[in-house]
Amino acid sequence: MFVLMLRESFVRGRRRKALATLTIVLAASLITALMNISIDVGDKMARELKSYGANINVVPKSETISLEIGGVDYNPLQGQVFIEEKALPGIKQIFWHNNIVGYAPFLRVTAEMAGAREKRVPLLGTRFDRHTPVEGDDEFRTGVRAINPYWQVKGDWPDDDGAGALAGAALAREMNLKEGDQISLRMGGKAGPAEILAITGILSTGGTEESAVVAPLPVAQKLAGLAGKVQWVNVSALTVPEDKLSRKARYSADSLSSAEYDRWYCTAYVSSITHQIEEAIPNVTARPIWQVAASEGAVVSRIQLLMIVVTLAAFVASGLGISSLMVTTIMERAKEIALMKALGAANWEVYLLFLGESAVVGVIGGLLGSAAGAGLSQIIGFSVFGASVSFSPIVIPVNVVISVMIALAGSLMPSRLITRLYPAEVLHGRR
Amino acid sequence: MGGDKAARMPVVRMFVLILFKSLKVRRNRVAITLFSIMIGAAIITALASVYFDISAKMSRELRAYGANFFIGPSASSGSRLAESRTIDEAVKMVPADKLIGASSYIFGVVRLDLGNAVLAGVDFAGLRKLATYWQVEGKWIGVAFDEDSCMVGKTLAKNMELGVGDSVNVISNDSGFQRRLAVKGIVETGQVEDEQIFVTLSLAAEILGLEEKVHHAMLSIVTEGMDIDELAARLERRFPGLDAKPIRKVSYSDGRILEKIRGLMAIVAIVILTVTTLCVMTTLIAIVSERTREIGLMKAIGADDRGVVLQFLSETLIMGVAGVTAGLAGGFLLAQVLGQAVFGSYISFRPIVIPMTLIPSVGAALLAAAMPVRMAVRVVPAQVLKEE
Repeated sequence: MFVLMLRESFVRGRRRKALATLTIVLAASLITALMNISIDVGDKMARELKSYGANINVVPKSETISLEIGGVDYNPLQGQVFIEEKALPGIKQIFWHNNIVGYAPFLRVTAEMAGAREKRVPLLGTRFDRHTPVEGDDEFRTGVRAINPYWQVKGDWPDDDGAGALAGAALAREMNLKEGDQISLRMGGKAGPAEILAITGILSTGGTEESAVVAPLPVAQKLAGLAGKVQWVNVSALTVPEDKLSRKARYSADSLSSAEYDRWYCTAYVSSITHQIEEAIPNVTARPIWQVAASEGAVVSRIQLLMIVVTLAAFVASGLGISSLMVTTIMERAKEIALMKALGAANWEVYLLFLGESAVVGVIGGLLGSAAGAGLSQIIGFSVFGASVSFSPIVIPVNVVISVMIALAGSLMPSRLITRLYPAEVLHGRR
Repeated sequence: MGGDKAARMPVVRMFVLILFKSLKVRRNRVAITLFSIMIGAAIITALASVYFDISAKMSRELRAYGANFFIGPSASSGSRLAESRTIDEAVKMVPADKLIGASSYIFGVVRLDLGNAVLAGVDFAGLRKLATYWQVEGKWIGVAFDEDSCMVGKTLAKNMELGVGDSVNVISNDSGFQRRLAVKGIVETGQVEDEQIFVTLSLAAEILGLEEKVHHAMLSIVTEGMDIDELAARLERRFPGLDAKPIRKVSYSDGRILEKIRGLMAIVAIVILTVTTLCVMTTLIAIVSERTREIGLMKAIGADDRGVVLQFLSETLIMGVAGVTAGLAGGFLLAQVLGQAVFGSYISFRPIVIPMTLIPSVGAALLAAAMPVRMAVRVVPAQVLKEE
């Protein structure tokens, strides 16, 4: 009997039910899309924030303190220690290797520039965009172009194995260098080996690189006689914001219980990634660059919070919207209910009919809405981040449950109102 | 013909009467209609307000990345030092409400107990706002005249075997100045600061014998709504001996990130606006649809189609405007809740939000009312009244 009534109600009141379902579909798709975006926005924004540059600096373990002021080293030759270049792909093989966006090795030496006037210039050797196959990722390319997107080159980037170089903007201004010029660099006086480099572009960074010549790593290594050595490595990694556990691990690593240690090690904190880099490469110290690492956490958590609050607001609004629709669709059926009651239906049967109807509408609306919302979140993902938003399957059941709950909650109040009416009054037309 | 005018008066009066009676008698339905329009308008208002404020708000959040502007002696001046008075004047030219923090820096090499190190003199009050990302173990130096304390970089502290609360001798090789300083905090940044020792500007000037001079100043400026390159050019024109430039690493990224956030907020706002408007429409369609019988009755006693449509639209217009007005107020409150929850500050009111809310909301309401009414007026009254 109940099923029959339910089915009849859907067949007879087709338009009415379609409208209710449509509203729930709209609301559910909105909530699905926003939930999806909220879940993924942290990851997406963290990737965008990579434009602030590397967040980990890897240096050799060393006892010496550099005495560098504004790019000038007051203690240049003392106790230099190096990192072996061939150990570097190890960075891409740590536990969190998928979170390593890229890395770039650096070797800075001072060279003499031959020309109209001799001048000592800093020469910075690095990798620009080098194909570095690692286990599990044969296409991995890395270098400063990947980790420092803010480096701006007027002209062309040099080839990683060629004899091209970039001139820093300040140096270029001072020495009157432009694209296509040839410069000759040598180290160790007139007798030292010389390298002829072609300037392929002018580099602006806003940092000390602007007063240096930036050349492919092998060029700097050859000039300095330091084949296969680098001084420091910048690593760009996707990390999660710092929290209580990571701070505890940093300041009092010994007090971590083994469960806490495991949880810390298996979370992409910047401190656990630096720890894993130190394990992977011998004799180095990996330090978070807090300017990037700490600020990233602050900004990402702020944006996540924003999305959550917006989702919540939209959720409440669509919940209220659905409730008001439910009220109208039920109130207009006063006559029908009065007739039911006059024929001997109990109040609980009326409730059951309405709640059953709402549940059906909620399930259908929730499912369709989830599908529409998944599409909607992809549209948002592509138009804002140019990448697809990962779809979390958890959103679907959550959404269906939410839709049903809203529909039920929305019909509870009007059902109560309608069962309170006197059948005689309603049927007579007084109400 | 004379009766025409006389006949029209009652028609107008009748129209007004029906209108208000309808609003008064159907109190329940009117309340629901008002409510759903209000909710829709409130959410649109709140999101539009947040959208217009998001750049200003996030621009301040992004200042967590520290200094984005540099002022120092120009390369052509030949000196690596600038007069501290000139730098201070230049910093004052930045609008006060845009300046988050600023600090001058002075550097020199000093001898500590166990070796040499770079000593940096800074303005700690400004630096604290500038470098919120510094990880400090122990305490910051609080006051500018604290001449017995220092902060030490983490690597330096490790090499010099220093901890918070220890004291260290600082000796200048050039001036012979010597003082014992207490280590108030250990600093970790992952950059050059890890190998430096920090004291107040005045103490550094005394130690290094460089009175009234600084190397450069770093500033953190809110770039939203101002041209930072224009500011740099203005400063260089006003102080020819100075070099003023945005720090590219930070300022370039700020722009990119802000664009992304604004884009995200815009598209989220548009999606919510569309969906909410559609939700309001479906509710109104449901409410107007159930009045088909009423329309049949009106037609049966002689109302023409135009009159019926006009009456329903007027009703909806009144409810729409009332609902949107309430929604605007509610939405603005909601925006404040959002602003407080996310940014801890208020969202400013912008007049553009009013038409942005009013037009889609009232438009959707009218459209939602028009569709079922048009369908209803087409039917034959007798059919409707017989409930067929």
